[in-house]
Amino acid sequence: MSLATDTELTQAMKIVSCFTDLKELEPLAEAGADEFYTAVGELPAFGSKNLPSTDLAAAIIKTKALGKKISLAVNDLHATATDKQLGAITGRIRDLDKLGVDAFIFSNPYLLELFSGGRKRLRAELHLSSVQPVFNSLSAAFFQRFNISRIILPNQISSHEARKILYFCRTRSIETEIFDYRFFGCAYVNGRCQLHHPIHFTLKSAMLNDSLCHINAKPGGLIKLRNLDIPNRAGELPGIINRIENRFTRRGSPRLSNAATFFDFFASGVQYLKYGTRSDRQEVKVKKVGELRAMIGLAEKLSSSRPRTKASQAFILELAHWNKDGF
Amino acid sequence: MAIEKGIRLGTMTLADLKKSGGLEAAMRGFTRFYLGPEFCENLLDGSVCAEIAWLQGQGKKICLLTPLLSEKGARLLNSLFKRLLKLVKGGKIDPAGLEITVNDFGAIELAKRNRLPFKLNAGRLLRNNVFDDAVDGFKVHNGRVLEFFSKLGITRYELSTIGIFPKVNFASGRFYGFNRRTFKITLYYPYLDLTNTRTCLVGMRDVPPEGSALGVTCARECLISSFEITHPSIREKLLVRGNTIFLEFPDKFYASEKDLLTINVDRLVYAPFP
Repeated sequence: MSLATDTELTQAMKIVSCFTDLKELEPLAEAGADEFYTAVGELPAFGSKNLPSTDLAAAIIKTKALGKKISLAVNDLHATATDKQLGAITGRIRDLDKLGVDAFIFSNPYLLELFSGGRKRLRAELHLSSVQPVFNSLSAAFFQRFNISRIILPNQISSHEARKILYFCRTRSIETEIFDYRFFGCAYVNGRCQLHHPIHFTLKSAMLNDSLCHINAKPGGLIKLRNLDIPNRAGELPGIINRIENRFTRRGSPRLSNAATFFDFFASGVQYLKYGTRSDRQEVKVKKVGELRAMIGLAEKLSSSRPRTKASQAFILELAHWNKDGF
Repeated sequence: MAIEKGIRLGTMTLADLKKSGGLEAAMRGFTRFYLGPEFCENLLDGSVCAEIAWLQGQGKKICLLTPLLSEKGARLLNSLFKRLLKLVKGGKIDPAGLEITVNDFGAIELAKRNRLPFKLNAGRLLRNNVFDDAVDGFKVHNGRVLEFFSKLGITRYELSTIGIFPKVNFASGRFYGFNRRTFKITLYYPYLDLTNTRTCLVGMRDVPPEGSALGVTCARECLISSFEITHPSIREKLLVRGNTIFLEFPDKFYASEKDLLTINVDRLVYAPFP
């Protein structure tokens, strides 16, 4: 009987938790965080809430004291900078490198290139952000030239589709990281989406989370059909209308991440699981990291005692009834 | 210098264009044809090779659009590239008259591995790697990003209209470390692609909670339907086709073609549908 995970390939899956306040570090570590990441306002980062820049040196010291690693997200694709501003960004990153940041998370290729080769190379490791989404092994190979040590996979890829990427990374000692599926997950492609900022459209009223992703409206009445009219398939239109109406108003388009996908990624040897909602309050962050720890524990327990299919089925069943009073 | 005029047919075949009565007008009005799926790998199809050869025979230039790629799309694109290479070898396609627009770094890697003799362009899905979007225009991030793409053989970037004549930072290029003469812009109108998802809004069936999806499957529903959506929070209508949401800016946004050249736009591409 072969057990659920290929034990010669896997190590325990570790949790990478966000933090935005020094006070969060200890409780998050106690809840099960193995690594930490954050962002600061003076460096271009994707997302809204940051650690005060003045706390970063203390955060580095504190994470080391806890025996953990710390990464810094510099992963906003929109890294517009004059040469003078770029000089300041570069200088700050090099200072933080000396100070002991363990890894920098980049998305824009020009910033990756700046710190990746020869004498320019940082002491810290370089991680490729999911904001620069890797959906195929060729793309992984493209970014490998920057000496990245980890690829953070986008959540819009299924475990089946990621098999070749995972193999590519495994054979080149590149670590892989996925996002937790319950607490994170937009259906639109990160780094290729402009729904979050009202740049090219005009707001009538405030949007939930400053985004058009979730209208949260009652279905019906929102959609007008424009039909390109291919008569021999006209019979399909009612079904399509129904689908898009539901998706655009309430549920969003189908999500590839779920319990089954998580288990497959886990069993395939993905090493890191990220919880990355920096805007959550401290108590929510701690609770969610605790949940991730328990979820990994369950996957480990089931996979050490059952064949993969059975372990996966049991895991999905447990997760379907998990945390009813949850988030 | 005149602005080059292109038409984006995407996955509409020349036969369908002819059936709709638009082929003659397209042949008269445009010098460059944009063919192929820009946003979805499920629409990659080798039959586009014959259309490229035919259009080149009619004296037209071509740009082949390629989408975001999973492993499946990468395989399909690889075989498409190999067919194109065969046609070049057989003298059926002139490589100087064919460009490839890439929307995935994997496609750049694939083009390099196949030693494609075609010029590559950075597509609209890659635009935020190079340009910062603002309400009134777009800015090049920094000269280093132009250098980065230039080393890959890419000096043309594809952008969408934003409905107004865009402000740019090209005149202050020296502060951002670039020379505005080192790159060109292709501008699509009248649709701006606002966002893109892999799991198609109209085509893909829902994934059951216990199911681990093998990939994104569909029945090409995007070929028969597009939707106009009135959103409760915004004034503009949203347009949905397949896995992409668009805004439409139907009004003319420039006074003269000369003005476009001042912002490096030397090619305008008309999209008859989103």
